[in-house]
Amino acid sequence: MPLRQKRVRRPANRISRAVHFVGVAVFAAALFLPTFGLFAEAPTATAVLTSSETETGRPVQLQIKITGASNATPPGNIAVDGLDIRYTGQSQLVEGRNFQFSYSFIYNYTVMPLRAGTFKIPPQVLRTGHDALRTPELTLNVADSPVRSSRSNPSPEPADDRKLAFAELVVTKAIAYVGEVIPVEIRLGFNARIRARLTDGPQLTGQGFTTQKMPQPQQNIETINGRSYEVLTFKTAIAAARAGKFEIGPIEAKALLQVPRRSAAPRSPFDLFNMDDPFADPFFNDPFAGLPEQREVDIKSEPATLEVKALPPNQPPNFAGAIGAFTMVTEVKPKAGQIGDPLTVSATISGRGNFDRVAAPALTDEHGWHTYPPSANFKQDDDVGISGSKSFETVLTPNERKSEVPPLIFSYFDPLKEKYVTLKSDPIAVQIEGGAAPSATPAAIAGSATPPAVTARPSAAPQAQDILYQLTESPAWVDSFAPLYARPMFWIIQAIPLLGLLGFIGWELRQARMDNREGQRRAALQQEASELQRKLRRGEGNPDKYFAQAARIVQIKTALARRVEPHTVDADIAVATFGLTGERRDHLRELFRRSDELRYSGSPNGNRMVPDETRREVIDLLDSLS
Amino acid sequence: MNRRSFIRFPAALVVVMFAASSPAAPANANRDAIFAKANSDYAAGHFRQAIDGYESLVRNRQWSASLFYDLGNAWFRAGEPGHAILNYERALALNPAHPEAEANLRLVRDQARALELTRNWPTQHLAFLTVDRWTWVAAAAAWLALFVACGLWFSSRRSASWIFVLSLAFAIGASAGFAIYELKNGGESRALAIVTAKEVPARLATADNANSVLVLPAGSEIKILSTRGDWIYAALPNQLRGWVQTNTVALVRL
Repeated sequence: MPLRQKRVRRPANRISRAVHFVGVAVFAAALFLPTFGLFAEAPTATAVLTSSETETGRPVQLQIKITGASNATPPGNIAVDGLDIRYTGQSQLVEGRNFQFSYSFIYNYTVMPLRAGTFKIPPQVLRTGHDALRTPELTLNVADSPVRSSRSNPSPEPADDRKLAFAELVVTKAIAYVGEVIPVEIRLGFNARIRARLTDGPQLTGQGFTTQKMPQPQQNIETINGRSYEVLTFKTAIAAARAGKFEIGPIEAKALLQVPRRSAAPRSPFDLFNMDDPFADPFFNDPFAGLPEQREVDIKSEPATLEVKALPPNQPPNFAGAIGAFTMVTEVKPKAGQIGDPLTVSATISGRGNFDRVAAPALTDEHGWHTYPPSANFKQDDDVGISGSKSFETVLTPNERKSEVPPLIFSYFDPLKEKYVTLKSDPIAVQIEGGAAPSATPAAIAGSATPPAVTARPSAAPQAQDILYQLTESPAWVDSFAPLYARPMFWIIQAIPLLGLLGFIGWELRQARMDNREGQRRAALQQEASELQRKLRRGEGNPDKYFAQAARIVQIKTALARRVEPHTVDADIAVATFGLTGERRDHLRELFRRSDELRYSGSPNGNRMVPDETRREVIDLLDSLS
Repeated sequence: MNRRSFIRFPAALVVVMFAASSPAAPANANRDAIFAKANSDYAAGHFRQAIDGYESLVRNRQWSASLFYDLGNAWFRAGEPGHAILNYERALALNPAHPEAEANLRLVRDQARALELTRNWPTQHLAFLTVDRWTWVAAAAAWLALFVACGLWFSSRRSASWIFVLSLAFAIGASAGFAIYELKNGGESRALAIVTAKEVPARLATADNANSVLVLPAGSEIKILSTRGDWIYAALPNQLRGWVQTNTVALVRL
């Protein structure tokens, strides 16, 4: 029975396997098809630190992210005096935005500060085939203990007496500037031995600052003071709205815990110091005590303090509120054109800071250029949008001949240097030539419009241009924008050549049919001549028929040669047609004479049989007519 | 059919034709009156009234290149370069050889800093004839090829010169067809539209807060690729693509 069942199920298995295979293939195609376009864009490389401030002995993570290149070689050894940087592994990331997919390799390093100070992690050169990518320079500020950053709960000792859950607020800076973006970490830990579910929060409370939306938390297991905790880490950022001293937090959250029931039994003799002896578990006292106890707990952290300073005065003219550390790269496309042709100037601001206040770089000299409002596109490199690159595309049109696009400037405030920094790009060489100058007057274009009064003398100031006059005559009205081929009239007109073509075809067919009739007539005559010639060779018939048939053969051959009717042919025509002379001409005339004589006299003249000699002469004569 | 009825039939036909054509006369007179009134409004400096008059003719499908040209002038005087450029484009769509419309379009486009779509190589080099003229070339070449092909089919001997003529006609017809295709997908596309509002942002997605791809000045050209609700996905100048709101653009070809 099982065998039979197996046999029955085999086709179904095969079908399901085929369906499964097709499904996998479609899924794989769907997964990998977009990757054909992944590497179409130019590869880019960025580097970020999980925190730009730390303390001695407290590591931070360095991530080098390469997007759009599959064969990049990561830097093996990054040497910075005072920092111990070690490679910890790599990961891959596929990101999709608006159906634009990008594929990235992320190389992770752990940076352990060995001493206090400000450290620069130099740009790293990454080889991708023929290209070399450079990461930006990173700055890490390492403080001595006590840390400069503000931690709500410096020792991650769980606040709860029963050590079930804890909340922790980590603000990476204690002193900041108005508008500066400060990374904040919210950590919620739950004893790994219990089941916990977050029902509300966490909420970051406080006034005087704005908070970014929190992404999904990272989840990992940490051991704190010998206990295992499942820790949820929420990363966000805050920005102070005004100067002053603020209290951030506390963090508040609610969670539902599945706590094992405690027995009323006395403490285990082995647990003298209340160390959570595993044998003190209620299971060993009462294995059938039932389900664990469900308890809702409020988790709350200690608040953190943040001192916010106002930005110093003497802001650069084009400062728009950007605070952080940035670099700028510019590009112009195309690099050659005519006056009035649009050029696209691309400027990419990369780094770390409040990108929402990063405005488009401005031209140092806009004379001779018309600028259009720029477009902006921000690509973040981290979860909270502090690190990344913002690209601006500005369309410029030159009003005069130009050899370069003037430098672009971008100003920001660097909180580490505590001063304003202005980035200035190099001028970019372009070739803008005259020609299609927009100053061509409509009068010159229209030809018939009013010409300028003085054309030879250049005027000092260009005259204001104006549009041409109204057309007041009743125009030719139409009712369609459709192209000619979409209008019925066009196809009606095509009937004329169509009729001509049909007439031409009909005429040609008639001609062919007529040619065919003539051919049939000629074939019939040829067949008749052949038939008669066969009879003559056989010597059938009496002399009157014999000569009549011979004369008919001559008439047919002559008629075929001259394209005339056979009955119109006489001896002279036949002689002339075949150009006979001498004896043959006489024989032919004799043949016609005897044929006529026998036909019109009514009786044969002489023997009833044609002599052989005569017959041979006649046949020779007929054979010679061709 | 007797003699009397033989005479009566054409007479009745003439009467019917006259009756059929007679309602057009008042309509034409009314159309010309509206056009003249709009022209006089324009001359008096009442540009909004002139626009209303011209637009009423447009709504009634009474179109002409000169009407759109005059309407473009009125919009320009009313301070709406986007609408002015749109109507100059419409005038040129109806009559590509309209010198006044061409001159004013160039002037207003320069003043408004309107952006133009980048024409591809075939469109640039085939635009010396319009689609309609290429259509005539294609039709003439096709008929010539058909006549020659029929002649060769029925002919007992096929001369090399007629075969050459056939090949040439076929090549010209194919080239004209290619030109029609390219121009209909390029400069003379039905999807060509003009930005009528001022400083219209083209966005990456169909949301008002989506990142901006390009800010389009009034009168800029776009090519509509698809429509989704109140948004249009369009090919933009500078080889860009983005979403713009439907009420900020208008099609050139009605």
